[in-house]
Amino acid sequence: MAITLSENVIELLRNRESKKVLATVDKNGIPNVSFKGSITVNEEGKIELIELLETSQTNKNLTYSLWFDKTVAISVWGEGGTEYEIKGIPRKVHIDGPYYEKKYVESLERNPINDISGVWIIEPTEVRNQTYAERKKEQDEKYPIIGHLDKDRKL
Amino acid sequence: MATKVENWREKEAGIDEIFEKYPEIPKIIILKTDVHRRGYVLSEKAERLLEEGNYQSEADTIFGEKLGAKKIPIGLTFRDGTSLIGGYRSNEGIRDHYVIDAIDGKFYVTDNGNVYEEVDFWKEPDFYHKKTSKGTPMGEVVNVRPQRLNFAISRVCHFWDTPGEGCKYCYVGINGIEATKKNIPALYDYDEIAESVAEAIKQQGRFSMIMVTTGSILTGKKVFDDEVDEIIKAFEKVKPIFNRKDLKVQLIGSAYDKEQLIRLKEATGIIGYTADLEVANKEAFEWICPGKAKHVGYEEWKKRLYDAVEVFGRGNVNTGIVGGVETAQPNGFSSEEEALKAVLSEAEELAQHGVSVAYIVWGICGIFKDQVPPSLDYYIALAKGLDEISRKYGLEAYFDDYRRCGNHPNTDLGRI
Ligand code: SF4
Repeated sequence: MAITLSENVIELLRNRESKKVLATVDKNGIPNVSFKGSITVNEEGKIELIELLETSQTNKNLTYSLWFDKTVAISVWGEGGTEYEIKGIPRKVHIDGPYYEKKYVESLERNPINDISGVWIIEPTEVRNQTYAERKKEQDEKYPIIGHLDKDRKL
Repeated sequence: MATKVENWREKEAGIDEIFEKYPEIPKIIILKTDVHRRGYVLSEKAERLLEEGNYQSEADTIFGEKLGAKKIPIGLTFRDGTSLIGGYRSNEGIRDHYVIDAIDGKFYVTDNGNVYEEVDFWKEPDFYHKKTSKGTPMGEVVNVRPQRLNFAISRVCHFWDTPGEGCKYCYVGINGIEATKKNIPALYDYDEIAESVAEAIKQQGRFSMIMVTTGSILTGKKVFDDEVDEIIKAFEKVKPIFNRKDLKVQLIGSAYDKEQLIRLKEATGIIGYTADLEVANKEAFEWICPGKAKHVGYEEWKKRLYDAVEVFGRGNVNTGIVGGVETAQPNGFSSEEEALKAVLSEAEELAQHGVSVAYIVWGICGIFKDQVPPSLDYYIALAKGLDEISRKYGLEAYFDDYRRCGNHPNTDLGRI
């Protein structure tokens, strides 16, 4: 089910300073992870990324996911340790047309050796706040049995 | 008059059954193949939407009709970036067409009340209506696909000079005869081609490859010598446009001997070479392509492809086949199972020598205008079988893939 990303997640994904990682799998289930600085959110609220290399494993895996409705995962990490994981399904790749050409020109401006393969559009299906401090608090509240006793020792 | 397959929906596995039968094949590729096989028409709403957009229409080249008429869609793009070349009203009257409908301002493939996939039509490039210095619209000199430029050397295929020797499924040959009757020169104007290519590639990100083809020219000291000479002449004009010696070009030409191949590669710098065997079975080839059989021969055609691997390198040579034409009657295979076995066994032999095979869906025309293309099941089994062979022999075909060509269901499968 497609979801709408919240404003803070959109901001984090659009921020050029955020670290963004894309995880995909191939048709045999073998994972692949790569940094994708181009990950952003487009005007329709969908995740967008540029794949530069036609022959990359990421390109193959995104194609596989689009063909077979398989989920990919993005991890985004920002200022102050804010971290989210977003899952989604690739729904479209622009390999031609005005939008592709616009992105192609922008990409060349960033680095003249670039030659983009496609502009991928990913429909978000799930978001999880992975910020450590918040996840720790959540775990401690929900699973009080977990954790080491030395930390519970009366001082 | 096309041969209608009565009650075909009851006789053949429908697309939904094929989706289930081949869960490992993407539905988009199955759909694209079937839309090609059955052809498509536009709903009235889709026709209106097409007229409104900056979409490309048929052009006056070796591949199609004149610019400027009512918009006739020339190809479709699917969500995964793959293309369908042609398909509009193709194979009309044989089985029911798919209908492209407009829903909420977007195009969708529909059939029998089912909405299958969003698609788009190809966009017109910037150079298309510009004129060459001789006044010809450039879109009538150089033809395009979403990421590819096409031009041709000879619009006439001289296998047709001797009655009965043209390939029986071919429309290029028939168009060539018509052009000759109208006194249109057989050879394209290479200055106009070079001008059009130079203009076209100014559009950033629009084109990633050039495909050059030609009707066969049989004259010269050896068969095809003049064809090779003409291609070289064209490249003398085209080459200076580029800043590199090896060009992102695929030539689809006749099967040249080794001396011709070396001469061609050295003079032009083209990277990819294709000589279409068209029919991957000796007996069917000799019946369907009598000119090729007489002037070159089936085994020699294959040998020349193997020689081409030595000249152009592994991964840069392939051969096209007209998928399903081997089932043409009365002399082709009457069983789809046997046809598939025969084609895949030939494809394996070719792959062992470094030649990959790319099939296109058979568009009924030419002398074979009354024939019937095989079932969807056949086409999907063929795509799967050819893809498996390419993987087994490590043959990648980037020069003929979804982006640079888009016309081959089996090379689409090679994307993952
Ligand atoms: S060689 Fe055969 S398929 Fe090619 S243009 Fe000539 S007749 Fe047509």
